[in-house]
Amino acid sequence: MIVRLLGAVLCGASLLACTSSAPQTAEPGSTVRLLAHDSFLLSDEVLASFTAQTGIEVQVLAGGDAGSMVAGAILAAGAPTADVLFGADNTLVQKAIDARVFEPYEAMERGTITPEIADYLDTDAVTPIDYGDVCVNIDDAWFEREGITPPASLEDLTDPRYRDLLVVQDPATSSPGLAFLLATISRFGDSWPDYWTRLRENGVKVAGSWTDAYYSDFTPAGGERPLVVSYATSPPAEIVFAEGTPPARPSTSVLTDGCYRQIEYAGVLAGTENPAGARLLIDWLLSRRVQEDIPLNMFVFPARSDAQLPQVFTDFAAQVEKPEQIPADQIAMNLDEWLARWDEILGR
Amino acid sequence: MVGAVGRDPRTLTVPVALRYAWLVPAGFITAFLLIPIAVLIGVVADAATLTGLGDIGLWRVAGLAATQALTSVLLTLVIGIPITGLLYRCDFQGRRGLLALATVPFVLPTVVVALALRTLLGDVVPQGLGLVLIAHVYVNLAVVIRIVGARWSRVDPRTVAVARTLGASPLTAWRTVTVPALRSSIGAAAAVVFVFSFTSLGIIAVAGDGTVRTLESVIVRRTSVLLDFPGAAAAAFLQVLVVTLVLVVTVRTRSPRTVGRTWNPRPAARPRTRIGIHASAIVVGVMLIAPLATMALASVRVDGAWTITWWPELLNGRIGVGSPQGALIRSIGIAVATGILASLIGGLAAASALAHRAGRTVAGIGLLPLGVSAATLGVGTLLAFGRDPVDLRATGLLIPIAHALVAVPLVIAVAVPALTETSNQRGLVAATLGARPLRAWWTCYGPVLRVVMIAAGGLAAAVSLGEFGAASVLARADSPTVPVLIERLLGRPGDASFGVAACLSVVLMAVTLVLVGLIDRLGRQRGVPL
Repeated sequence: MIVRLLGAVLCGASLLACTSSAPQTAEPGSTVRLLAHDSFLLSDEVLASFTAQTGIEVQVLAGGDAGSMVAGAILAAGAPTADVLFGADNTLVQKAIDARVFEPYEAMERGTITPEIADYLDTDAVTPIDYGDVCVNIDDAWFEREGITPPASLEDLTDPRYRDLLVVQDPATSSPGLAFLLATISRFGDSWPDYWTRLRENGVKVAGSWTDAYYSDFTPAGGERPLVVSYATSPPAEIVFAEGTPPARPSTSVLTDGCYRQIEYAGVLAGTENPAGARLLIDWLLSRRVQEDIPLNMFVFPARSDAQLPQVFTDFAAQVEKPEQIPADQIAMNLDEWLARWDEILGR
Repeated sequence: MVGAVGRDPRTLTVPVALRYAWLVPAGFITAFLLIPIAVLIGVVADAATLTGLGDIGLWRVAGLAATQALTSVLLTLVIGIPITGLLYRCDFQGRRGLLALATVPFVLPTVVVALALRTLLGDVVPQGLGLVLIAHVYVNLAVVIRIVGARWSRVDPRTVAVARTLGASPLTAWRTVTVPALRSSIGAAAAVVFVFSFTSLGIIAVAGDGTVRTLESVIVRRTSVLLDFPGAAAAAFLQVLVVTLVLVVTVRTRSPRTVGRTWNPRPAARPRTRIGIHASAIVVGVMLIAPLATMALASVRVDGAWTITWWPELLNGRIGVGSPQGALIRSIGIAVATGILASLIGGLAAASALAHRAGRTVAGIGLLPLGVSAATLGVGTLLAFGRDPVDLRATGLLIPIAHALVAVPLVIAVAVPALTETSNQRGLVAATLGARPLRAWWTCYGPVLRVVMIAAGGLAAAVSLGEFGAASVLARADSPTVPVLIERLLGRPGDASFGVAACLSVVLMAVTLVLVGLIDRLGRQRGVPL
């Protein structure tokens, strides 16, 4: 202990690199650095369990939002600033793989992953850890008050009955905003621009961020729009984060048509100083203990099929039967063009 | 010849110590600004960057952003200069409180300010250019007040009195006496406000409607959504170019030295003027406090009813995304480190700007971080100093260093005009009486330098308290700063997340107010009004 302390002091004093040479097997006492986006969260005791099991310390490094984090990882490809990256979603992951950000590793329990999630991307560069669906959320109370039937499909959103009721996010600045655009492209194919023209004519509002749309424009927050692009897990989150005694049921529900499925991946960063520790961390992220801790911390679904969901999820999180998806390589190839076209249609 | 009078009897000999003082800021800027940028350029720039520069759309964004920024500057000056006069020329009860209050918007996380303004004005001013301009004026008022105020407090009020006695109308006296004296500080403030508005990001995102764009928003879109780095580099290059141009012009047109000492504000003699002053102060106070009050209100309300359930959450830490107390202690520590670092580096840069050309160049380059986005700086710093062979991350110094870089331009903007416009008479007298060069120099500039370093250091600390972009990339996930924590809370659904974020914003405002108030008080105790 004293030796390590002394080492740390010397490192600090010399302001120079203090990294031990890369061990081939996972060394107890070594550290593994996990680069994660802002929304990464696990219970303290679960995080501590990795160190308890392996003797390896985990240091979680903040990478900003998912996009900035992946951008940083691509720029540092080959000489990474961490050992493992968590949270590259399917809109970003292909470019990171192409830039050789990751070192291939097949997780020990990869076989436990729900097949649809595992099959989306056929690679051992990254491992799916969790997934979530981006869907239009509905303020049920508002619709009840106004005596209007809530929309039931993406097409409904262009119906004049729902004029000026929907708020979405700018796909260029917001991850759910982008997911919603991708959902419409997946659903309508080449005619997606027509759909958006109709949405515009029907008074869709574009907010800059999810926070903005959900906390300012959405009617439960005092806004004027009872339809907002959010997550299938927003209703259970509403219960968990409610003030005082939680309500018996959420005041919002989910339009389960036209949901876009986001999958979040983790991978060993190529050039890591602690490859053995990094692999152990990937295995651990896919362990049942972590997978079952994910829902209530990050409000997404675990990738593992045998992970137990908490009650509030089974009760209130929308189960999306047929989510929309677009292959990762197509996104990587066309995103630029889609966003430019979207700008044009929305008159930006 | 004994003493420190130079060959030209009107100039002071530059003390030896100061001749080399520029090395410190130059070294700091090279290490933590130029090297990270060079590393970044080395990684991303290629032929596509050059083609990207030829993109008409990019230039259109630059043009629109420049127009927006110019409008922001004009509005901020029109509103800010009268307030500066009120705060630095008239004495009234609550003057110092108002001065501290005016600084708060500048240092709050921009997302919080924009959200508060939207809640307050949403029904009157729709999202878009109008709201963006209002938000820019609101946050940048402090820049005008602090920079122009530092100069204004050294304009001899008797000169105005003389002009009035000689028959000049108040307006003529203002135009012919006060304005010329303030001109260079107004120029400096205008340049800083222009650069902030031109490179604005958070406000554009929350207060804008998607049609208002800056190069900064293009950079973020290209890096973090499209992962188009050469294209982002083109936009970043254009932005640095425009900012450099503005700064060079500002530095060039700086007016020559004028004589000055600090004059305390005085209470108005006539009761009617006194009433007028108090009325204006109340108007200004309400204007400043209304958006902040919106946030305070949000921290005690849910679904239209009163509640205090969120405040205890700050202490019991059940909110999950990190301990608010820990974040607060961390943020204050970083702010103190930033204040000291930035005032030292900026103060030395300003002092060497007096000494010789190399110093002036360094002071000019020291303004550059203004044009480099905090997020870009964060990534560059990480690439240069976040991995082998130089890994500074474990030292905990990366955030103070990045914050100091962001704040050094403000220190320079405050300090250089103040120093160059200080009379060297006292120094010349001291030198004639036999003082060594350093002693003579200090006799001349010391008091002013001390004042501006305290003032600017405080401003730097306050900037650090609210900074988000760099901290979000450089922080350890388990040790967020307060703005990072607020952002994380706002990124989750649920009333409690929003409520606790509002509470934290209120705490941040309060800490900033106390900090700025303390600094002002310290200055006052030393007999130097800030």
